[in-house]
Amino acid sequence: MTERYSFSLTTFSPTGKLVQIEYALNAVTTGSPSVGIKAQNGVVMATEKKQKSILYDEQSIHKVEPITDKIGIVYSGMGPDYRVLLTRARKIAQSYFLQYQESIPTAQLVHRIASVMQEYTQSGGVRPFGVSLLICGWDNDRPYLFQCDPSGAYFAWKATALGKNHLNGKSFLEKRYNEDLELEDAVHTAILTLKESFEGVMTEDNIEIGIANEEGFHRLSPSEVKDYLASIA
Amino acid sequence: MAMADIYQNNYMSMAPTERRFEPYAFNGGNILAVAGEDFAIVASDTRLSQGFMIHSRDHPKAVQLSSSTVLAQSGFEGDITTLKKHVKIRIDMYEHNHGKKASTSAIASMISKMLYYKRFFPYYVYNIVAGLDDVGKGCVFSYDPVGSYEREQYRAAGAANELLQPLLDNQIGHKNMEGDFLPLSKEKALQLCIDCFISAAERDITTGDCVFLHVIDKDGIATKEFPLRRD
Amino acid sequence: MSIMSYNGGAAIAMKGKNCVAIASDLRFGIQAQTVGMDFEKVFPMSDRLYLGLTGLATDVQTVVQKLAFQLKLYELRENRPISPKTFLSVVSNVLYEKRFGPYFIEPVIAGLDPKTSEPFIASCDLIGCPMEPEDFVVTGTCAVQMYGMCEALWQPDMEPDQLFECVSQALLNSVDRDAGSGWGAVVHIVEADKVTTRRLKARMD
Repeated sequence: MTERYSFSLTTFSPTGKLVQIEYALNAVTTGSPSVGIKAQNGVVMATEKKQKSILYDEQSIHKVEPITDKIGIVYSGMGPDYRVLLTRARKIAQSYFLQYQESIPTAQLVHRIASVMQEYTQSGGVRPFGVSLLICGWDNDRPYLFQCDPSGAYFAWKATALGKNHLNGKSFLEKRYNEDLELEDAVHTAILTLKESFEGVMTEDNIEIGIANEEGFHRLSPSEVKDYLASIA
Repeated sequence: MAMADIYQNNYMSMAPTERRFEPYAFNGGNILAVAGEDFAIVASDTRLSQGFMIHSRDHPKAVQLSSSTVLAQSGFEGDITTLKKHVKIRIDMYEHNHGKKASTSAIASMISKMLYYKRFFPYYVYNIVAGLDDVGKGCVFSYDPVGSYEREQYRAAGAANELLQPLLDNQIGHKNMEGDFLPLSKEKALQLCIDCFISAAERDITTGDCVFLHVIDKDGIATKEFPLRRD
Repeated sequence: MSIMSYNGGAAIAMKGKNCVAIASDLRFGIQAQTVGMDFEKVFPMSDRLYLGLTGLATDVQTVVQKLAFQLKLYELRENRPISPKTFLSVVSNVLYEKRFGPYFIEPVIAGLDPKTSEPFIASCDLIGCPMEPEDFVVTGTCAVQMYGMCEALWQPDMEPDQLFECVSQALLNSVDRDAGSGWGAVVHIVEADKVTTRRLKARMD
């Protein structure tokens, strides 16, 4: 029974496109927005986390997650697919550490996650992931920011936006970005980028922010986020 | 009767119980002797151990046999005690019978014979005899446990002999070195002996506590002590 | 007779001030019979990284090839030179992979960190247990002799030429008291700006 479906669902259209991948990208662009910005002394990423009901507990499940001490990740697109990739990313990081007794470089991790995502565009019985990832880290004494798409393509950004309204987000960043940005300013810019398309009131419970710098990666606590929001308003 | 014996000898078990006589133990430690032009130095550590057990931290392995001869021994303490006892008696007998002091080379030869006499149930003992010879020159005689012996300028024996012998080759024998060398002074020899034991105590667990030095020259035998690591 | 001493051999590595030394003997034997006198047991793995291997000669060659393979993969994949510490971890893993049917070799590693030029030495047992002392590492059929020599000759912060003399004397006098090793030696002194390799003449018996 299973072998009848063990061919790849991602097949070429007569025009040479892989429409399954385009559909996956559509899932991303309809997903809630995320932004990432590299600063001189660190890198920030932020995402919208709006819930459909006031009954949700906002502080138990997170979108911004650490992979290693130094690397963090966030996504736009389908939550369940993200969890699969998150688990894989953590396993990749741990097995790297087990082999080399040193923390995986961000570029290596991105490369390997991208390989996983590519594999899901060519394997039988599976579909591409419905997410784009933002991966940020600090190694080699400098910040890194990458985007990973369902096709397995990956990009290194100074600043970028994903998900719903990402084009507006990007043109906003193009106006705001400059080379010698400080991390504190980058956090503000990230929040402002989200705010561009944000519907309703932005609070510490409906956005998440992660930063990576010399000390490593961490997700900001709600009270820290609240302080940033207060300083903007 | 121990619990294990009761189980082993019951009627249900037909397996024979093996009993064994273990005639030898190894009590560790290190001995070392260096001969100079008109002196000889014997060094030994003062630890007596068996396996991971330290029996004594104050047990020199060298003993004075005459006014110009010292015997150093390492191996099985039971055999060491016995052999030493017999050697001392034989030296006393020699003096009674011949009416003169036994020379270092005579004692050395005698020990060789005493060891070979036990060729098929040997003393588990490594011996080094050091002192002054008939013309007052420093001499060292080293043995294997069954009596093969030779006169040398320097020798390390015991648990850490492999660590020390190459160092003596280099520092006293001037092996793998080029140029002219001064004759070995007493001070340098003494310091080298101490350094050897510091090194040995670093890597050999049966060597430590203290190094005991006998310095033999025409004025007699002087002794010195130098502390080593005690772990 | 132990498989570890079937072919004989010795290798040693030492730390100095901003430099490291690594050396081996040249004998290749089959038990008591010497069949080769040009068998180096130290291998350059990259620019400032050297590996010394003693033990069963066939395993020495196999492990060197395996490690060279792993190393090239790493350097291509990450587009950067490997650090000696990371290389130690690779060695350890390659050896532990064969925990229940081991390669009969014991490695020593010496090198300078590609970024900081910090001296590094380390050794492993045959199933990959790593050790990183701050003075010297030895391996081979005359390891005990080398421990004795190094313990007496080594001192901190030796300059390259001092280090060369120290490692050479330690190795030569040790192999001379071991029937399984000797027949000449090779010494590498690794510094940030150069590597000096010298062949030592020695007793040939």
